[in-house]
Amino acid sequence: MNRYTTEELIAVHLSHQISDGEVGFTGLATGKAAANYIANIPLAAMGLAKATTAPNLTILLAGWSVNPDLANLSKMPESEYDTELMYLPCEAQMVSWPGPWSHHRGEIDFAFCSGAQVDQYGNVNSTVIGDPEHPKVALVGPIFVPEHMAIFNREYIMMPHHDRRNFVEHVDSITGVGYERGREGRLEMGLTGKGPERIYTPLCIFGFDEEGKIFVESIHPGVTKEQVIENTGFDVGDLGNVPFTAEPTDEELYLLRNVVDPNRLLLGETE
Amino acid sequence: MERTSKLVSLAQAAANIHDGDRIAIGGFAVYQKPMALVREIVRQKKKDLTIVGIVNSLDADLLIGAGCVRKIETSYVGLEKYGLAPNYRRAVQNGEIEVDYYPEMLSWDRFRADREGWPYWPVYYLGGADIVLRNKNIIEYKCPVTGKPVWAMPAAKPDAVIVHAYQGDRYGNLQLPERHLLPQIQDADLVRSCRNVIATVEKIVDTEEIKKNPQRTFSLSFRNTCIVEAPFGSHPTATLLATKEDEMHFREYVAAAKSKDTFDEYLKKYIYTTEEDYLNQIGKKRLDSLKEAGHE
Repeated sequence: MNRYTTEELIAVHLSHQISDGEVGFTGLATGKAAANYIANIPLAAMGLAKATTAPNLTILLAGWSVNPDLANLSKMPESEYDTELMYLPCEAQMVSWPGPWSHHRGEIDFAFCSGAQVDQYGNVNSTVIGDPEHPKVALVGPIFVPEHMAIFNREYIMMPHHDRRNFVEHVDSITGVGYERGREGRLEMGLTGKGPERIYTPLCIFGFDEEGKIFVESIHPGVTKEQVIENTGFDVGDLGNVPFTAEPTDEELYLLRNVVDPNRLLLGETE
Repeated sequence: MERTSKLVSLAQAAANIHDGDRIAIGGFAVYQKPMALVREIVRQKKKDLTIVGIVNSLDADLLIGAGCVRKIETSYVGLEKYGLAPNYRRAVQNGEIEVDYYPEMLSWDRFRADREGWPYWPVYYLGGADIVLRNKNIIEYKCPVTGKPVWAMPAAKPDAVIVHAYQGDRYGNLQLPERHLLPQIQDADLVRSCRNVIATVEKIVDTEEIKKNPQRTFSLSFRNTCIVEAPFGSHPTATLLATKEDEMHFREYVAAAKSKDTFDEYLKKYIYTTEEDYLNQIGKKRLDSLKEAGHE
């Protein structure tokens, strides 16, 4: 038996990215793999940060439930506006638009999004597969991804599946904007958010350098360099010096499983 | 002279929507969609509608599958945990409908432009996104203050707004529950964008009842063209604190919508009949099980 799951590894790594006093935003997704990466891992990471180094973190669950008592969840809500979620104790609820937070003013420090495709520039696509004028597959549409990638200060792209069809050289449609024109280019275009910070996958973590160029920052323990190369549709370069993703400590795992998520709803059982 | 009652039948209500209209549909994603009105629009075989949407689901998928729609302006068409919207997908992939994409909260802001009497809503952060390359109705201009690029998102300009509310009176006042969420507040924004509001409510109550909790009124009577009492008017989607989502019917719908032939059968069985018959087919036992405690 492994000491931890991939989900726990990612959640703990993510929790280290959060500074005290920040505002973090997460959506709710359905379907097991998507929900794990888009909602559950981010919530666990934020819960762990709040329990350790970031007690002044503000958690926006699904954008509208502010600092909810996550440990009081008896089951994961199946939908964003579940009546049960309405009654989950929290400090505030968003019951107007615009609501209690002002994202245009840059109040969201970090958030999480996903898509069917991501590319070497950190562009995200949730709109269509194929030629946008004559799509092969009509996906759900842009939803909140353009806003996430343009104006939230740091964006963590959470990809539940890592293979060539998801990690492409160039996305079919740019729903959310990455670094195709570099970090400077983002500023010139008027985007106020810093852009994608990292991409988390079941195999590895991608980062972006000072110019916005993608690189493999770490590979999860147990995963080989060949696996990352084979499953990525763009050139990942030389992985010779890439370290393994830092492992969670026993204390972090204890807190995750017993304090943050005592009912084991977010990250499931370890076995 | 007496105050005019706007209480009408579902058929009379849907007659206020015309071929070619731009319609805004209340509710959000899979929550509290005015499905009885949507079904009636299908029954009346309206054509060439433009859905001016924010986050759409079954509402759009049913209208598209029944051939009522020419174009949709939206940020999302999907069925959340039930997956992609099959009729929407097929129609887009076959080039049968036009789609103009807008980002989610900016789709909502388009209705704020209508409220403010503005022709557009400004946004400064769309640079590099495909949305501005492909949607010709979003116009780039230079901010007169900063000199930076800004994009004008056209106002929503609906010809009709349809919503399903918790309760209302015969004059068209619409109320939401004291505890409510964003889908209900979105309805409040939609109705303020247009004077042709067509509403169904779970329950018609006396105006004296409305006056006991005036803070709950989100749409004033003068906006409403008409109002219909339609219990389970959002079925199979939920109406907050009144009726729950009907998962079984959602799944039946999704299975039926997988192909054009099976969806035509669905339309024949459930839609091209009366609303009363639709609810009878769902069955009293199932409908009773969907009622939220405390709502009678």
